[in-house]
Amino acid sequence: MKKYIPLFLLLFLVSASVSMAQSDNISPARKQAIDSLALEKVKDLSKYISIIGSKETQFSEANRVMDRAEELFAPGAEMGVSSLNRKEIAYYKVRRYFERLMALNYDRVNISWYDIHYISDLERQPDGRYVGVVTVYQRFEGTSLESGLNYRDTTKKDITIYVEKKQTQIAGRTIEFWDVMLGDIRVTETSA
Amino acid sequence: MRKLLLVLVLFITSLSMASSQGLYSPGSPKDDGRFAASTKQVNQFFRRFNAEESQDGQKRYYSGDPLYRDRELRGQFISILFDNETSGITNNLKSDFMKEVLADNLPQFLNFHREGWFAEVSSIFMYKGKRENVTLFLKIQPEGLGYEWVIDKVIFEPFRDVFKKPSGSEKGFLHPLSHELGFMNLRRAFQDSDTPEAFTSKEYEPDYLTLFLYEMKKGNIRFETISDVKFHFFQINNWYFELNQFNRPGFNTGWLIGNLVKLNPGDKETILKYIYDQK
Repeated sequence: MKKYIPLFLLLFLVSASVSMAQSDNISPARKQAIDSLALEKVKDLSKYISIIGSKETQFSEANRVMDRAEELFAPGAEMGVSSLNRKEIAYYKVRRYFERLMALNYDRVNISWYDIHYISDLERQPDGRYVGVVTVYQRFEGTSLESGLNYRDTTKKDITIYVEKKQTQIAGRTIEFWDVMLGDIRVTETSA
Repeated sequence: MRKLLLVLVLFITSLSMASSQGLYSPGSPKDDGRFAASTKQVNQFFRRFNAEESQDGQKRYYSGDPLYRDRELRGQFISILFDNETSGITNNLKSDFMKEVLADNLPQFLNFHREGWFAEVSSIFMYKGKRENVTLFLKIQPEGLGYEWVIDKVIFEPFRDVFKKPSGSEKGFLHPLSHELGFMNLRRAFQDSDTPEAFTSKEYEPDYLTLFLYEMKKGNIRFETISDVKFHFFQINNWYFELNQFNRPGFNTGWLIGNLVKLNPGDKETILKYIYDQK
């Protein structure tokens, strides 16, 4: 089942964008469609983060979800984390970030996401790919039963998205589609 | 056809397998308006400043949309783009600025791709075993099929301490008939003096960026991290403003104008010198 997931995603993207992929310029309508695709990826990531962080998730399941979460990212993507007390950015590879999240020393963890997002314009890079940033807000609550301590924070996550026109062959026909990959993520603790 | 149907069914099933705790799942915490009000990205600062998006930021306005660059909407947006808590920009100054930006006959807009704005990045590098603050200035430039941010200048105190050109009676020189001696007295510049820069022309400015890159290539400087970012804007005629990120409770947060200056002739050069010389 797992090995088919990238295929499902590819087919979904083709079906969503086959009708709009004709030129390299991104019209407002196409931008809206790409925004939706990007938001789907971000939603998937948010779901995976919640599962990885949850103490009810078994180790093997968390590892499986981490694999799936990693598939959302372009190679080499990093998380850059800063807090209210420490403005300097600490860098983690995406996998390492997930592993640290899974290993947090709380008995109960609840990760939820605010009902708001912001999507930037898409800018073209020198290599022709487009890049954008999606901003979302996450609430983290961790409880330690022994000490009775609760930790709670809200973080702003600025997520890079790379948008690229690709081609695939379906039934002998070449079909172009826009693919979205996630890139570096800046994680900032907020005062909320 | 049956295969495709099966694939689609499996795909939808795979999505619903994950528990629904993601973005916009039932039970998501509600924003009380603070995140909506916050200028969350520099991109949003541009869009708000130009009135190129809806008030909630969910709809991008394009040329031809009724509210695209609407003067009234711009006025509402720009009035919330100032830091009202710490910067002490007077209401009169804000009002003068807005009058010029929103002028009926010649409104002014910000342009992401145009010159006249740049980033100042406070960063930390390891140099000779010590953590050192480095200020990098980056600007955006066209490249290949799109654009890129490039490093334009660097401020690095250890270099600045090395190049301190003496002046007055302390300054060494090569006398004006040195050529008659085949410049044999260059020895004074290169061997007897610890300030060889004293022997350079008036126009000489050390190129710190080249030195910085040289040291990096030699493995003497290593990047550690970034500690702060701000932006300087000179795109509005006769005005300078600084864009800072304010991470604090309340509704006046995100990327906001933290410093605003009305420019008289010559002021731009003075401010640039101040920014690059780092006070």
